[in-house]
Amino acid sequence: MKLLSLSWTHKTSAAAAREALAAVPVEKVLSVLRERGCDEAVAVSTCNRFELYAAGRPDAVRSADWFLAILAELAAFPVAAEAEVREDMDAILHLFSVSSGLDSLVVGENEILGQTKTGYEAAKALGMTDKRLNVLFQRALFVGKKVRTETTVASGASSVPSVAVQLAESIFGCLGGKSALILGAGAMAELSAKHLVARGVGKITVANRTWERAYALAARCQGEAVQWADFPAQLAEADVVIASTGAPEAVVTRAMVAAACRKRAGRSIFFIDIAMPRDIEESVHKLDGVYLYRLEDFEAIVAKNMASRAESVAAARAIVEAKAAEFDLWAKSLSSAKELSLRHSERPAR
Amino acid sequence: MLILSMLNWGAFLLYISATLAAGHYLYTKDLRASRVMLTLLGLGLFLHLGASVLRVAMFWSFEENRFFLPVSSFHGALSYMSLALAAAFFIIEGQVRLGILGALILPWAAASLGAAVLFASPDMAPLAPKLRSYWLNIHPMLLMTAYAAFANAFGVAVALLIQERQIKSRKPSELCYRLPSIDELDAINGRIIAATFPVLVVGLVMGALWSRTATDYRWGPKETLSLCTALFYAAFLWMRYGAGRRGRMTVYVSMMGFVCMLATFFGAELLRGSHSYMGGGN
Repeated sequence: MKLLSLSWTHKTSAAAAREALAAVPVEKVLSVLRERGCDEAVAVSTCNRFELYAAGRPDAVRSADWFLAILAELAAFPVAAEAEVREDMDAILHLFSVSSGLDSLVVGENEILGQTKTGYEAAKALGMTDKRLNVLFQRALFVGKKVRTETTVASGASSVPSVAVQLAESIFGCLGGKSALILGAGAMAELSAKHLVARGVGKITVANRTWERAYALAARCQGEAVQWADFPAQLAEADVVIASTGAPEAVVTRAMVAAACRKRAGRSIFFIDIAMPRDIEESVHKLDGVYLYRLEDFEAIVAKNMASRAESVAAARAIVEAKAAEFDLWAKSLSSAKELSLRHSERPAR
Repeated sequence: MLILSMLNWGAFLLYISATLAAGHYLYTKDLRASRVMLTLLGLGLFLHLGASVLRVAMFWSFEENRFFLPVSSFHGALSYMSLALAAAFFIIEGQVRLGILGALILPWAAASLGAAVLFASPDMAPLAPKLRSYWLNIHPMLLMTAYAAFANAFGVAVALLIQERQIKSRKPSELCYRLPSIDELDAINGRIIAATFPVLVVGLVMGALWSRTATDYRWGPKETLSLCTALFYAAFLWMRYGAGRRGRMTVYVSMMGFVCMLATFFGAELLRGSHSYMGGGN
């Protein structure tokens, strides 16, 4: 069996080439390839990468240049110069690294596993996969899952909003039915509000010194706007408070929070201060049931998670290499009289 | 006797193994460890139940013990508590998937049965005449069921304090994301204590009623300590549901209740009194 892979990734090629390729639907790429005589190919297209895998008997696989010419024509862009071309074992290793998230911008991210699956299923639906590519991609998905469960390469949240949501869930459990108060109506406030809505937060209240802006933001996220002077009263109701105003000094004081706590019947309150200078007095964190996190706290957690992911990259790579070598042996055995079985050691992914 | 001893030891070792599996589950969140924990706990419960049935049968081989439960001895009381605790956890875990708390709750079941197996012998003697009363099947049983439930609540309270400290530290470890949320732990702790407190009170009142029939009854340290236990739990319930307070202080009060309860149970051995287990109640 011969395997050829062409890749344009965030590591090796400029955004222009990737954007040009991403603009071409995968189905179109595959159908054009089929029209021109290629029977077996899978394309994986994401915002960060474009990958094309072609397989077949050694004499049946076209040259890299043939594929590059077609892709350049479809993308209407000179993409050939920035392509990475790999063959056989190198291509297998690359695909397994990609599905494991080792080649991603954020190491271990999970989206790529789904994107690889989508690419494979699109090709399968078009009848562009035969035994070789079927087993290769099922194996890639299996290795991707194995690496994520057996190493810490995908553990820990990798972005500030996801860490914030994780912590909120560690305080409240499910966020559904909880209420949030947004102080400020800038871009950061809007981003936070949308994130909370996406996580099922029941009620969003927006307070801003300029009423019109509070009203407009509340309308955009199906929330409710309150007058700035009324926000201290809202502290007794809100479970999550996100502050991102441009105020020169703290707008949420310890006295304000202590007063609100007395009306909260002991319910916890989670403050997120992403303003600079700070919007919330640091001493509120000392109150019982009050948790104040600042932007740098989230950033420190993300950095720690990413460091832990980086530490396990070597272990993840070892799994990828072992599984790639195993697949390579199987692929070579296809042309011999006795085909090896990949099922002996582990079940392939369903 | 040999079979009883083997069943008890088997159950004890299985509880310890289940505790270790629970600890592994807490630190790795490996679902297989959770299943192993449940299987080991289930097997342990099976052996423990077998041992208990056998012990009751042997106890009843004395004519005068017939139909009284063997809970007046240290062994009997500890063994029953361990059984109730493990069974309660097994049922709760099956329903609300809180196996992650096994590491904090199962050690109590293992320790309780361990103490019974190692430091006390099964009650294979005729009951003291004054204990031959139907109260024996009510007063200790109610209290020990309450103790087992309070031990569950204590495990939840420890988890709650760990989780609270993790989030307050602003440097949460992996453990933070594995434990249930503060609100969930707080709700479970409150609910277990609210549901168990009436059992404790009824158990104590039954004890008081029984003591009226006993001629040589005197107020002793055990009575004082059990009153303290009830007062701490009452204070917790008032703080939590009456005054609507939450947080560390309320959790500490509930934990003090558990400490008093342990002192009530084991203190009798040190202080002696009409409840002394080693003396078989004599």
